[in-house]
Amino acid sequence: MGKKELKVAFLLALRSLQRGSRSSVILTILIIGMCFTNMIFLPSMFNGIGQSITKQVVDYEVGNVLVSPKSGDQYVADSGATLDLINGMPGVERATPHFTKGATLKYRQRVLGVSVRAISPSDEKLISPLYTKMVAGSYLGEADTGEVIIGRPVAGDASVRQEDEFQASLGGVRVGDSITIDYGNGYVKDYRVKGIYYTGWSQADSAVYVTSTDMALVDPKALDNADYITVKAKPGYSETFIKNELLAYGVGGNGKVQTTADLLSKSMGRALQSFAIINMVSLVVSIIITTVVLFIVITIKTISSRKQIGILKAIGVDKEVIMHNYGFQVIILGILGIILGIILTLVLAAYMAYHPIVTPEWSATLYITPMDLLVNSVILFIAAIVAGYVPAYQISREDIQTAMRT
Amino acid sequence: MIIIENLRKTYRMGDVEVNALDGITLNIAKGEFLGIMGASGSGKTTLLHMLGLLDEPTSGRITIDDVDVGRLNDYEKTQFRLYKLGYVFQDYALVPDLTVMENVSLPAMLRVDRTEEQTHAGSFEVLQKIGLCDRRDHLPRELSGGQQQRVSIARAMVNKPDILFADEPCANLDSENSRLVLDLFKEINEEFHQTIVMVSHEDWHKDYFHRIIRLKDGKIIRDGTNGSSAH
Repeated sequence: MGKKELKVAFLLALRSLQRGSRSSVILTILIIGMCFTNMIFLPSMFNGIGQSITKQVVDYEVGNVLVSPKSGDQYVADSGATLDLINGMPGVERATPHFTKGATLKYRQRVLGVSVRAISPSDEKLISPLYTKMVAGSYLGEADTGEVIIGRPVAGDASVRQEDEFQASLGGVRVGDSITIDYGNGYVKDYRVKGIYYTGWSQADSAVYVTSTDMALVDPKALDNADYITVKAKPGYSETFIKNELLAYGVGGNGKVQTTADLLSKSMGRALQSFAIINMVSLVVSIIITTVVLFIVITIKTISSRKQIGILKAIGVDKEVIMHNYGFQVIILGILGIILGIILTLVLAAYMAYHPIVTPEWSATLYITPMDLLVNSVILFIAAIVAGYVPAYQISREDIQTAMRT
Repeated sequence: MIIIENLRKTYRMGDVEVNALDGITLNIAKGEFLGIMGASGSGKTTLLHMLGLLDEPTSGRITIDDVDVGRLNDYEKTQFRLYKLGYVFQDYALVPDLTVMENVSLPAMLRVDRTEEQTHAGSFEVLQKIGLCDRRDHLPRELSGGQQQRVSIARAMVNKPDILFADEPCANLDSENSRLVLDLFKEINEEFHQTIVMVSHEDWHKDYFHRIIRLKDGKIIRDGTNGSSAH
């Protein structure tokens, strides 16, 4: 197959698409584009959910690396020294201790069970963007006592009746109001609500934050003990690097060191497996639809052009040229369909960036990487070529008489 | 020179065998304008298709310019058709999505011994000859039947083939356009000395042929020059 033959095959393909049925061309490109979008949408959505959960877990729960108590221990051993050690390591932005106690909140007639998290507000700012999520009032100061910040779902909405609430709340607490916290160990204290925040991450939003100084009044152990230590990596340092460094410095002797990925692979492993199965089903269905559509389109084209194919062969056009003519048509349709699909996908991604899917547990946008676009494009392209070349190969092998008699 | 020896073509239709060609033996000299005439079903088109390598005989041999075409493989036959033969079909058989210029250029574009410039110049020249240069950017559907047939002739002519086959080229044309087409064939034959083999059932066409063979039931029943007859 020489250059001239390929050139003629391309000319025939191009002219057939340019001057043939325009509606058929547009419809085919649209179907390929939609199939591409379908192929990439669900995996990107699941990736987006995964990324969103990971980001929120990093931001509001464990940082990049979590040091938790060893099996059988209640606290991270020698928390103060461990914290100093970690904060001195290269690659560590900041490590901060968390001390959490279960408690009951009381406001007017409402009672609500929550986790009260004790933090060091200035350190926490280096770990978590919580301080940027205040919707009313202000964030905690380092020396604050008798003040709390609470999640918006905990504060509730005074206009919603208790029986209509999706999630139990205090029924409309506002900044400046006083709430009572009963820690269950006999310590009961009134706090002024300094601020109300909303992160979109349900576990953080259903908590209450006080300063470590304040928690020390409730439980003196809070001063030199930590339920867990969250470690934030500096930009450019991987979680694994930090984890290995912590282990190398002996932090593993005081607590269990895990990266966010380690934690999520355990807690979300099954969910990720389900996502992978759904993705695979969606991918296979899209490929089958594209393959069948292109097969039908090219089969109809070849059948309706059988006589013309016979004529072309009669005037000296080789069967390879005829086959590649249809092959090129599929390649052009495939490329245009994939370009349309990429545009549709990017438009959807842009739309969802502004209008993410929000649930009480997480919010998600489409998470698409150039590699996702490339891999799906290649898969669809190969499927399109197979679908187009099979009928083209069959028809090009037909003898001239049979073709011309049609 | 075309040498046809004892050519037979048998079609099987259910249990019945039909002899479309029944032992045709014939020589066609170079530069001859041969008319194949006969009633419908006499085997005219079948013979033309055998000579044009569009179909294979059941038995017998065809030799064109010392090449036993029965021995050529599929690719060689395609190349033979491209370089040595030209076709004009009854229904013009132009590619509807190509312009007049593209239709005419198509066979020349495939020749490895022609540059792009030569292809273009050759196509332009042949379009000038048939008087359709000004319609070169039109699509076939924008032309009349007569014009389409002239484009079909131009396409057959562009590679300057040694032999031109025409299968009832005037069947769909009125008498005025038929005469234009036949005049064109005559001119080509006289100017380029190309062998032309044309199937026709119109009696008045015989005035254009050097030699006429008449077929009946797959056999030659008359073979003679224009104005005379012999067998």
